Amino acid sequence: MDKIRSNKLALFLFLFPAALLFTGIIILPIIMSAIYSFQDWDGMTQAKFIGIGNYKELFTSESAGYLRTVGNAFLLAVLSVFIQLPISLGLALRIARGIKGEKFFMTVFFVPVLLSTVVIGQLWLKIYNPNYGILNIALKNLGLESWCHTWLGEQKTALLSVFVPQLWQYVGYHMLLMYAGIKNISPDVIEAAKIDGASDWQISTRIIIPLLKPVLKICVIFAVTGSLKAFDMIYVLTKGGPDHASEVPSTLMVSKIFLENRYGLGSAIAVTIIFLCFFFAVLIKKCIRTEED
Amino acid sequence: MNDKKTVKSGIVTGKKKPVVSYIILILWTLICVFPLYWMFTFSLKDNKEIFGANVIGLPQKWLFSNYTVALSTGKIGRCFLNSIIVTGATIIITVIFALMASYALTRMKWKGRDIVNNIFMLGLTVPIHAALLPVFLVLSFLKMTDTYQALIVPYTAFALAMAIMIFSSFMVGIPKDLEEAACIDGCSIFGIFFKIILPLMRPAISTVAIFTFLQAWNELMFAVIFNSQSEFSTLTVGIQKMSGAFTTKWGPIGAALVLATFPTLIVYGFISKKIQDSLIAGAIKG
Amino acid sequence: MKIRKILSCVAAAVLVSGTIASCDKSAGSDGGKKAEDVTLTLWSISTESDSFHSAYVQAIEDFEKSHEGVKVKHETFENESYKTKIKSAVAANELPDVFYTWAGGFSQSFVDSGKILCLDDYYPKYKDELSEAALSNLMYDGKLYGSVIVSPVSLMWYNKKIMDKYSLKAPETWDDFEKVCDTLIENKVTPIATSVKDKWVLAMLHDGLTLKSVGPDKLQKCLLKDGVSYSDPDFLASAQKIRDLVDKGAFIDGAAGLSNDEASAEFYTGNAAMYFTGSWMGGSIVTDAENEADFEVAPIPVINSSNAKITDFMGGGSDSLMVAKSTKNADLSAELAFEITKGVSKYGYLSGAGIPAWKVTYDDSEVPRLTKEVANYVNGATSFTLWFDTLLESEDAGEYLALLQKLYVGSIKPEDFQKAMAAQLEK
Repeated sequence: MDKIRSNKLALFLFLFPAALLFTGIIILPIIMSAIYSFQDWDGMTQAKFIGIGNYKELFTSESAGYLRTVGNAFLLAVLSVFIQLPISLGLALRIARGIKGEKFFMTVFFVPVLLSTVVIGQLWLKIYNPNYGILNIALKNLGLESWCHTWLGEQKTALLSVFVPQLWQYVGYHMLLMYAGIKNISPDVIEAAKIDGASDWQISTRIIIPLLKPVLKICVIFAVTGSLKAFDMIYVLTKGGPDHASEVPSTLMVSKIFLENRYGLGSAIAVTIIFLCFFFAVLIKKCIRTEED
Repeated sequence: MNDKKTVKSGIVTGKKKPVVSYIILILWTLICVFPLYWMFTFSLKDNKEIFGANVIGLPQKWLFSNYTVALSTGKIGRCFLNSIIVTGATIIITVIFALMASYALTRMKWKGRDIVNNIFMLGLTVPIHAALLPVFLVLSFLKMTDTYQALIVPYTAFALAMAIMIFSSFMVGIPKDLEEAACIDGCSIFGIFFKIILPLMRPAISTVAIFTFLQAWNELMFAVIFNSQSEFSTLTVGIQKMSGAFTTKWGPIGAALVLATFPTLIVYGFISKKIQDSLIAGAIKG
Repeated sequence: MKIRKILSCVAAAVLVSGTIASCDKSAGSDGGKKAEDVTLTLWSISTESDSFHSAYVQAIEDFEKSHEGVKVKHETFENESYKTKIKSAVAANELPDVFYTWAGGFSQSFVDSGKILCLDDYYPKYKDELSEAALSNLMYDGKLYGSVIVSPVSLMWYNKKIMDKYSLKAPETWDDFEKVCDTLIENKVTPIATSVKDKWVLAMLHDGLTLKSVGPDKLQKCLLKDGVSYSDPDFLASAQKIRDLVDKGAFIDGAAGLSNDEASAEFYTGNAAMYFTGSWMGGSIVTDAENEADFEVAPIPVINSSNAKITDFMGGGSDSLMVAKSTKNADLSAELAFEITKGVSKYGYLSGAGIPAWKVTYDDSEVPRLTKEVANYVNGATSFTLWFDTLLESEDAGEYLALLQKLYVGSIKPEDFQKAMAAQLEK
C-alpha cells in the first residue's frame, strides 16, 4: 500500500495541473506585487526602486492611516469568528439533525449568499438611509428617536454598520459548509450515541463538533482571510468613508492604486494583506489539530 | 424523532425544543427572504420610488417595462450565455484539478507535502485588486486576453485554494481501510481514486461546485479588465453597463439582477438536493 | 520550523522570479491585434443607458459613411471601472486604437508612459472648428495628445418653485447666498443636497467657491504648481464657507453617507432647494425630475468680487478621445478621434446631453431649455478652470478629495485643510 501511495508518476499527474495554474496566476502575481512594493511606480511610467520606502510610509505616516485599517479588519475577523460562525454552526446543527422543512430552510438560508453584493448593498443602503431608511423609521416608531443615526455617514457608527451586512450575508456560506460536513458524518455514530441515551446537546457537542473539526477549521480560515481581504460590501456602502472611518486594508489599497496611481504603495499594502492572511491561515491550521496522519 | 428521551444532564428537554427552534428558524427565514422580495419589487419601480418615495412597499405602478428595457439593452442574452460558458468551465476544471491535487495532498505519501499544502493556501490570501495588473500582464503575455480562457483560467486558479481545502477536509475523514482493501484487491492508485474516493466525495463536490459557481458568476473586476470585446462580456459586466456615466435608471438594473439571480437559485436548489442525497453516500462509510 | 522553511522557499522564489517578471514586461509591448480589413476599436464610457450613447452612434455612422471600408467597433464600459480598466490597459499595452479619457492630470501618466500618439500633425485641419483654447488641457509639454468632446461647467441648479415660495432669487454674491440658505433653514427646507460619499460632488461646490474667492489666474497657477501656494490667504475662504454651511445645517441630512444618485434624487423630488454639479444635470432633470419646468440654473455666486467674476467658471474641456501609439492605423485613428469628438459634440448638444466644445455651425433651436441656458452662460464665460480633481495629478487629486471629506465631517478645521493642501501640492 505504501508503495502505491508514494507512486511518483501518479503524484505528478495528480498535482501538475493545479500546480501549473496556481504558479502562473497566484504565485507569479504575488511575486510581482512584492517587487512593485519596493518601487515608486504609478503603474505606467518608469518605476523607481526605493527600497522599503513604501512600507515605511505605511507604518509611520499618519495620513495613510494604514494601521487603523488593519485594526478594523481584525475587528471584522473577530466578529466573524465569534458571532457569525456560531450562528452558522447553530443553524447547521439544528437543520442537519432533521426537522420538518429541512430542505426549505437549507435553501432559504443560503439566499443572501446567492445574491450579488450589488443587490445586498443597495438593500442595506435603503435600510441605513437617514431620511427614509427602514432602521430609522423603525426606531422612530418604537419611540427611540434618540437612537436614530446617519448610520453610514457618522464616524462612530459607520464601521459597525458596514460590518453587519457583511457578517449577515455569509452566515449561509459557512452554514452550508458545516451542513455538508455534518451530513458526511456516519449516521451510525450518531445513532449509537442516541441508543446510549445521549441528549441532542451532548450529541452535538461531544460527537458532531469534534468530528466536524476539519470543516470548522476551514470555516475559521475562510472567515479570517475573508475578513482581512473584505472589500466589496464596504466599497458599495461607504467606499471606506467618512474620513476613513470604515476603511479596511483592501479599500485603502484600491484607492492608492487606482485613484492615486500609487502602485508601489498599494502593492505594499497588498503584500501585507497577503502576509497577514497567510500567517493567520497557517496559525489556525496549526492550532486546530485534526486527525491528519 | 428527537424528543425520544429525557436525559440525565437535563440541559434541554426534548419536547419544547422544536417550537423554539421553529420560531428562530422562521425569523431567520424572514431575514433571508426579505432581500428577494425587495429585489423583485425594486425591479418594478422607477428611480423616484426606489430613492425614498417607496422603499419597501409594493410598486405603485408595476413597471414591467423595466424587464423589456433590461432585455433589450446591453445584449443581456449574450452576456448570459457567456456567463454560463465561463462559469460552467470554471466549475468543471476547478473540481477536477482540485480533486486530484487534494488526493495527492492528503492521501499520498511524499516529502514536502505540508509545504505544498500551505503554499496552496496562498490562494486564499491574494486580494483581487492587487492581482488585477499582474494577472493581466500574464494573460497578455500568453496572448489570452479577449477570450473565454482569459476568465476561466484566473477564476479556476483563484477557486483552487478554496476547493482544495474543502476537498482535503472531507478526504481526511475517509477511513484508510477502504483504500487498503481495494489495494489488496489489486486496484492501482488511479483505481482507488476513481472507484473509492470519488464516489465518497459527492457532498464535497456539490459544495465546491456551488461556491465556485458563486465566485465566477458574480465576479466583476477581472471580467471588466481582461476582456474588452462585448462578445465576451459576462452578466455582471452587462448589468454594470446599464448605469450611465452620471445618472442611472435603477429599475432596469433591478430587473436584470432578478434575471441574473434566478439561475443561481435554480442551480443552488439542484445542488443542495445533491448534498442532501449524500446522506446515503455517507452511510457507506463506517 | 515549517514557517522558516516556507520563508526560505519564498525567498528563493523571489530571486528566481525577478527575471521572469522583467521578461514579462518587455514581452507585453508587441501585444497589438492584427487587422486585415480596417476595423478601428473605440472605447468609451457612453454605455447604452448613457445620455451620450446615441450621439456616439450617430457620429460613428457619419464616419463610416464618409470612410468606405472602415468599420468602427465601439466598446463601452461603466464609468467607475473604466478608470481602472484604462490604467491597466496602458500598463499592459492593451489599448484600443482610440479611447475615451479625461484631460489634465488624469492622463498625465498615460502621456508620460509614451503610449499615446501626438496629434500635432492632424490638428491644423480642424483648427477653424475647434479652438486651441478648448484643447489647453490636452497639451502636455506643448504637444497635443487628444481631442475634446464637450465642455461641461459646474453650476448651481435650483428648484425655482421652492425659491419662489419664499420669494428668493438666485444669489449672485455670497451674502445673498447665505441669506437664501438662512431663509430656507428657517422654513425647514433643506438648502443644499450633496453627496460626500461620492466626494467629487462636494468638490463641485468647493471648487466653485474657491474659484469665486481666489480668481481664475491664481487658482490655475496654484493647481499647476506654478508659483502660487495654496497657503495664500484667499484659499482659506472656500474651506471656511463649506464648514460654515455644514455648521449651519445647510446640507441635507446624512450627506456623508449618500451617493450622487441618492442625493440628486432628493433634489429632483424637491427635498432640497439647490444642487451644485456639472452641466450634465440639465439632461438628467429632463428624464428624472417630475416637473422639468420647476428647475433653473445659475452660475455659482461670487465670494470675493475683486478676484473673481460671476462669469468665471469651473470646468472646460475634459472629456476627450486619445489615440494609442500602438495603433496600426495612426492616420485613420487620429482622424477618427477628431471626427468622433466633433460628431458627439454636436449630437450630444442637440439632445441636451452636453455643452459642445466644438463651434456650433448648425441650427441649435431645438436644444432642450436648460442645456441651452448653460450654453449661453458658457458663451459669455470670461474664464474656465478645470476641476481640481481633473487638473491635479491622480495622487494629489485623491488626497484633495480625502481632505475635503475630512473637512466636511469635521475631523479637520479649515485652517488644517488649507495647510494639508499646501503641503500636498508642494510635495
